[in-house]
Amino acid sequence: MAAPPTPDDPSLLIGGSYAVDAARPLPGAGGGLPAFAVADRRSSGRTGLMAVQSLPGAPPRAMALNALAGWAEEGLLVPLAHGPARGAQGEAAWFVVSAAPPGPSLAATLRPWNEHDLLDCVLRPAALALEALETRRVTHRAIRPDNMFRAGPGASVVLGTAWSAPPALHQPTLYEPPYSAMCLPSGRGNGTIADDVYALGVVLVVLALGRVPLEGMEPAAILRRKLALGSYTALVGDERLPPVISDLVRGMLAEDPEHRPPPVLLADPATARARRVAARPMRRAQRSLDMASGPAWDVRTLAHAIAVDPDEGGRLLRGGTVDRWLRRSLGDSALAVRVDEIVRLRPSEGATDEARADGLLTMRAVAALDPLAPLSWRGVALWPDGLGPALAAAETMGGPVGNLLAERLADLVANEAAGAWAALRPERGDPTQMRSEARHRRATTRLRGWSGGLARLRYGLNPLLPCSSPMFAGHVVARLQDLLPALEVVAARPEARRERPIDREIAAFIAARHDQRFEGELEGLADVASSEQAMLLQLRVLAGLQRRLECGPLPALAGWLAEQAAPALAVWRNRSRREALEHAVGEVARSGQLAPMMALLDNPAARAADARGFQAAGEAVQRIDAELAALAGGAESRSETARRIGHEAALGVAMMAVTVAVVAMALS
Amino acid sequence: MNGQATERASRGPGAAGWLQGLACGAVVTLATPSAVLGGLLLAPGFGALLLDREPGRPAGRVALLCGAAMAAAPVGALWQAGLGVGAAVTAASDMSVLAGCWAAQGAGWLVAQLAPLLLRLILDAHAQASMARLRAERARYETDWGIPPAEGS
Repeated sequence: MAAPPTPDDPSLLIGGSYAVDAARPLPGAGGGLPAFAVADRRSSGRTGLMAVQSLPGAPPRAMALNALAGWAEEGLLVPLAHGPARGAQGEAAWFVVSAAPPGPSLAATLRPWNEHDLLDCVLRPAALALEALETRRVTHRAIRPDNMFRAGPGASVVLGTAWSAPPALHQPTLYEPPYSAMCLPSGRGNGTIADDVYALGVVLVVLALGRVPLEGMEPAAILRRKLALGSYTALVGDERLPPVISDLVRGMLAEDPEHRPPPVLLADPATARARRVAARPMRRAQRSLDMASGPAWDVRTLAHAIAVDPDEGGRLLRGGTVDRWLRRSLGDSALAVRVDEIVRLRPSEGATDEARADGLLTMRAVAALDPLAPLSWRGVALWPDGLGPALAAAETMGGPVGNLLAERLADLVANEAAGAWAALRPERGDPTQMRSEARHRRATTRLRGWSGGLARLRYGLNPLLPCSSPMFAGHVVARLQDLLPALEVVAARPEARRERPIDREIAAFIAARHDQRFEGELEGLADVASSEQAMLLQLRVLAGLQRRLECGPLPALAGWLAEQAAPALAVWRNRSRREALEHAVGEVARSGQLAPMMALLDNPAARAADARGFQAAGEAVQRIDAELAALAGGAESRSETARRIGHEAALGVAMMAVTVAVVAMALS
Repeated sequence: MNGQATERASRGPGAAGWLQGLACGAVVTLATPSAVLGGLLLAPGFGALLLDREPGRPAGRVALLCGAAMAAAPVGALWQAGLGVGAAVTAASDMSVLAGCWAAQGAGWLVAQLAPLLLRLILDAHAQASMARLRAERARYETDWGIPPAEGS
């Protein structure tokens, strides 16, 4: 475990200015997350800052951070900067810097508040803050007493920070609308400002009562109670609230988000109180439908029971029990017909995959029974925009539970369930856009190679999710520009250099950070036949990143790549050229520049010349071998030639002797 | 080629053989002194010709030709002396003439035997030199281009 770093380490300044002092924790200030005091190095006089630490598998809200960048709003702890730093144990993490709370949280001293304080100190300032958030298309999703602060008696409350974790991740069931509470905590999505209005309504109830209602009750029981009775009745029951508060809260806790008053209206409580939206009461059946999770008396509880236990729900749907109950006990034949149509679709979809068909059946049935309900896929409920954090949570969770969740989520994406779900509730969203997004997500997971798959989708849907490559243990690499410096640090560890710099997670991370120029290379990494090609592809990607991100020299990473370059050098056939290349690569590696190294190793013209030379050498060797074979096997031929020529030569000499003798005789 | 010669030999002397026999007979009949002298001086050559089993009888022919070169002078002297059988026997009795002729035939036979061997040595040496040069060239390719060595090397 690393020692806590000093806050003055310049490399750990967030936004080049804020130093996290991990030795000074601020308990209770981070809305359920660790928070630490922060010093502003640019403005030494500025105090009262804090940094909230993100936890693994729960990435910060990138969209909200971007939307609120450079913004200031009273009544809200807006983010000032965000970036990596070290936590209390020296662990690397992502931090969001904001102003520190002005005082203790409302949960610190819970007591009954009077109507005036509730309206002037809580409702109005919170409504103004929510209105300001709404104009920036941002939701808060962490409104609860322990994340609302005020400087002292009579002061307005300030909404705490909500940017360091996925929306509503830490919200207790009590403060969440039932259709959000039934989701995976990480899959609740951004929601709408109406969800914040709901949470604010619960806060008003808590403060008006001076205690937390339903305290000690299991979250599942609270949820069932809300669904069965309606949120207002479930929470308030027989308690007496101030009349104005009671009227406001009744509207704020409406089950249908569209029935809740908008923040702009809440800023004027008198007008908000006068606004009455008549919600049709839920029709109650004459007889309940008994299910494993409890008796269902209306479609809302029935839909929830099917979502929670899709196996039993699917069985009841296929067997016609639900249809009969809807017709006979509930008397809603129109809904029964709709559900019957959904059940009739199943045989055509179940021909190839029973689980998929049952998943689609229960998902459609839940959506038809309760259009307000979230997407329920095989026991997993989430809002479609919560898919990214849910994938991140599943990956971090690991183990059988995490794997099962990841499998369900992958299944959901593969079946474009979000598109089918949206088509059944067109009045609640744009089904065309949802279908298009679902198709795009499915296409992403089906991309070939390392540039696709669930990992790519996970990083794509979580712009600030750190890369989970095992190589980056102890580092936070959430942005593309953090990748090469982190690899440079990793390269200094000899044990890390046994592997290649880019693994599957890093490839998916690069691909997801919208650098489409490397799509081809990343796709190829998975199915390259040779280690030489893999090395060149990795080098090409990293050299491109270094050039694009203007990272400066990376000598350790270059040295790592030079070590890994043996296969790429081995393909050069000419020894002298190869040795010269090795020398040149070593020289370039010391300079830390990857592009020249790439130019040396990936030189098609030189490679072609080398290949031609090798081919010519091969042909020459073949010719030599043939000549050697001919010489080795030519002994008999040479013997015959020697015999023939020797005899002819001897004969010639003898003929010459005869001629000389005859001529001499003739002359004498 | 050798097969054809063997076949021809097995069939007996052909027309050429008969013509040669006829010519010899004519020479013996018409020029008896010269035939006697020639026969005595060239006896080893004829013997070598008869004993040589190689196609074309190269050794016998060379021995005979060498003997003929040495016998030219005694035969010429016989002709000038009158072509008598006695003179032929006298000339053949001269040991220096006879030894010279026979030695020439022996030398001819020896040359016919040694010339192919000498030539074989020269050709083999040349082949070895060529192989050494080629092996060196191949080794250079092996080193420069990583070509595997030849099998068995």
